[in-house]
Amino acid sequence: MEAPPVTVMPVTGGAINMMEYLLQGSVLDQALESLLHRLRGLCDNMEPETFTDHELVYLLKGQQGNPFILRARRSLSHPTSPWHLRYLGQPEVGDKSRHALVRNCVDVAASQSLPEFLNEMGFRMDHEFVASGHIFRKGAMKVVVSKVSRILVPGNTENTERMSLSYLVELSILAPAGQDTVSEDMRSFAEQLKPLIHLEKIDPSKQRH
Amino acid sequence: MQQREEKQLETAVESLISRVAHVKNALSSFIYKLENEYERLTWPSVLDNFALLSGQLNTINKLLRNEKTPAFRSQVIIPLLLSPDRDEDLAKLTEQRVPVFSHEIVPDHLRTKPDPEVEEQEKQLSAEAVRIGPELAQKHIQALNKLCSNLLEKLNNPREDREGDASVRQNKASFNPTDTSALVAAVAFGKGLSKCRPPGPVAPGHPGQGPMMSGGPTLQQVTIGGGSNQQAGMGGPGAPQQQGQPGKMPSSIKTNIKSASGSIHPYNR
Repeated sequence: MEAPPVTVMPVTGGAINMMEYLLQGSVLDQALESLLHRLRGLCDNMEPETFTDHELVYLLKGQQGNPFILRARRSLSHPTSPWHLRYLGQPEVGDKSRHALVRNCVDVAASQSLPEFLNEMGFRMDHEFVASGHIFRKGAMKVVVSKVSRILVPGNTENTERMSLSYLVELSILAPAGQDTVSEDMRSFAEQLKPLIHLEKIDPSKQRH
Repeated sequence: MQQREEKQLETAVESLISRVAHVKNALSSFIYKLENEYERLTWPSVLDNFALLSGQLNTINKLLRNEKTPAFRSQVIIPLLLSPDRDEDLAKLTEQRVPVFSHEIVPDHLRTKPDPEVEEQEKQLSAEAVRIGPELAQKHIQALNKLCSNLLEKLNNPREDREGDASVRQNKASFNPTDTSALVAAVAFGKGLSKCRPPGPVAPGHPGQGPMMSGGPTLQQVTIGGGSNQQAGMGGPGAPQQQGQPGKMPSSIKTNIKSASGSIHPYNR
């Protein structure tokens, strides 16, 4: 009996560190159609996929300064699918010339009881929003065009209000740590979307206040 | 020397074949789209297809103009064997377009002169050119040149005027950088999204969970310092965002984990 392929074997003795490479931009409503059209041409040929997701961000405050943040996401268009729990680390401050934002990323699937579980563990929900839009793929790259809406009544995802008149565009790749060629591919793809949108690496800590 | 030329020829022919295959695929998908998705087709998508074809033709031109490409004109193709039998290998190579290498297909596929109709037209045109005489021909040429330069001028000048007009470009802007930062801030740490409150009506035995205090400090309050949570809750910059609405989240039972960080509660256990 031959050994199963490496990708299927359980990872023991430490996990593979997956990093998320991210570039973000936005597009106004009136230019959305042309952007979708261009993405349909540039990305892999597949049926355009739309999604509606509800994301809740949980915080666990420890004794020290920074709280621990977990993001729980569920699909509103597929209510029976599992929840998706994600941890995103601090952006890696490395090379200034690296073209994309790089941060550690851990993803797990969870059952429907995730919010109660997190509450029991001591997490508190900090904020939530609904994101709905389109998703495209090109090889390992994922492009998500979504409109972000705030939830007016906590827990009620029907009653939402758009945050702005633009759609958020995110280009991301999940790759094991150390593969820096990935950001080159992202940059050349981002070039192809100019001047319609400018995808750039936006450091979230610089956005505060 | 001979081998180098042969190698160059081979590589050039191979790349030419692949480029032509790309053009063929682009053309066939375009034709399919035009024939079948006629109602849903929009002008930008047609333009995209044309742009794609023009790009591919450009690459072919560049390839042919490349100095490493030997002159194909100097190569001669001679059929060595013609047979009326079906040749499977040939059929596979040409995707079933040329199943038989016989005397019917040779005049079409190995033609080096233009088609007979085209030859006729060319003969007529050259006869016409000889007939009108050199002075009249020169006048024609000058008139054509003048028309072309006028047209080019008209096309170039308004574009120069337009490029200086920033307001026109504003209208055509397809993204707004402030929106970008607002959206990124919202998704990254909830700026602009109302902070969630724990449920108001909790048992009176639960200390410190009134509507004005969050169960855990919000992200914005973290920067002020974990110890002074109570003041932060009252006067923090997040205050305007805290709507005093009873949250719909289930009230948390005091777990051991929470009480371990008891410094954030006003009542000591």
